[in-house]
Amino acid sequence: MLKSLSHIVSAAARLSAASSFRVLEPAVRSRLICAPASATIRPFTRSLWMMSKSGGHGGPGLLAASGRVPPVSCGCGGLHTEGDKAFVEFLSDEIKEEKKIQKSASLPKMSGGWDIELNGTEAKLIRAVGGENVTITFNINNSIPPTFDEEPEPGQKADENEPEIVSTPNFVVEVTKPASKHSLVFDCHYPEDETGRGDGEEESDIFAIREVSFQPVGESDWKETSYTLNTDSLDWALYDHMMDFLADRGVDNTFADELVELSTALEHQEYIKFLENLSSFVKCQ
Amino acid sequence: MSLVVRNLQRAVPLRRARLRRDVELLRRIAGIERFDLGLACVDNRRMQRLNAAYRRTDEPTDVLSFPFYEGPRLEAGKLSSMSRELPRDELNLGDVVLGVQYIMDMVMAPCVESSREDFYGALTVITLHGICHLLGYRHDTHEQWTEMFQKEKYILSEFNRLTGGQLEPLTGRDAS
Repeated sequence: MLKSLSHIVSAAARLSAASSFRVLEPAVRSRLICAPASATIRPFTRSLWMMSKSGGHGGPGLLAASGRVPPVSCGCGGLHTEGDKAFVEFLSDEIKEEKKIQKSASLPKMSGGWDIELNGTEAKLIRAVGGENVTITFNINNSIPPTFDEEPEPGQKADENEPEIVSTPNFVVEVTKPASKHSLVFDCHYPEDETGRGDGEEESDIFAIREVSFQPVGESDWKETSYTLNTDSLDWALYDHMMDFLADRGVDNTFADELVELSTALEHQEYIKFLENLSSFVKCQ
Repeated sequence: MSLVVRNLQRAVPLRRARLRRDVELLRRIAGIERFDLGLACVDNRRMQRLNAAYRRTDEPTDVLSFPFYEGPRLEAGKLSSMSRELPRDELNLGDVVLGVQYIMDMVMAPCVESSREDFYGALTVITLHGICHLLGYRHDTHEQWTEMFQKEKYILSEFNRLTGGQLEPLTGRDAS
């Protein structure tokens, strides 16, 4: 509990630091034009002012730099700047690093006979259980919970303290019976304190049901007019029966763990693909 | 008032509704339905960590109790009789942490012929032992052990009568 609170405090500090920086920026700019009135900011404005003068050391000044680099064209019709070149070099290094830490180029298999269908960032796991069809859908976009900077232990390098990136997507379980026109749909998520950080303070279930609803079979959009049961105020006994219902269909804690592994690998794969596309786009290839 | 079950492990498949049904019955027999109770199911790794942190014993175990009350109110058996006097927000017994992987290993030991039914029976007996600790019962001295044994024996005999089970107190097994 204390740890969670300290996370909140740390997040608030980060937010306030970020917002004060944004507020400061225009104020400094205005002082570059007007005579500086405050002694505390004078050295800072002066050094920037000097750097922006072209006569100082003969080279291009910081503030004038972008106006002096002539655009280069390769015939693709796009702009190529020194910045683009540096950007591509950076991306190339980043891709190499990411590929180095990629566990495997192929996605991990889910146990229990699930078939997988991929459509961009969305994945579907499909399984038939005794005449019923069970489909799990999740999207890896925005599936990585925010991490908070923690002070490294004495003697520990800052890099070693970096938390592992884990994708914990919300996922929808759809159970369809052969004779029914409606599927029973469970909107599930990974509670925030159980994200594989392994700090031992977790008190929530590994995954939890947020909402339950009946939806017409074969329709991808959530029908808002269907009654939706929110589990926040649900009788615990009913909730436990629902968790057992899912476990009988292969959606249990082991499944939830394997889903995290699959989603993390897929997210990493898509991230590398995005970096490669970004590099090609900047290079105009 | 409410019993909250948390399954924090993946080592043992667990029927939450079955566990809840049995523990709800124990609560009713013990006359403590008005109290909130938390029940967390953990694996050996987490149980060992908790046991090391709170009892300085670096090994997994079957059950740990974290009482809401301490001091005079935790005198054996006193709390259950106070349920009508306490305000709503103080009707809390605390948490029982069950080492379900440890219990499964114990029940399914190679030399023991056992079934899933035995596993849930063992969970019931061990949960009751944990609840008795939340109610202030201890087994440090022979007198305390006798008092705790009598309490567990009474509750389980009622449980057996209502369910047709044949469960025996954990405290009794310790003494044998």
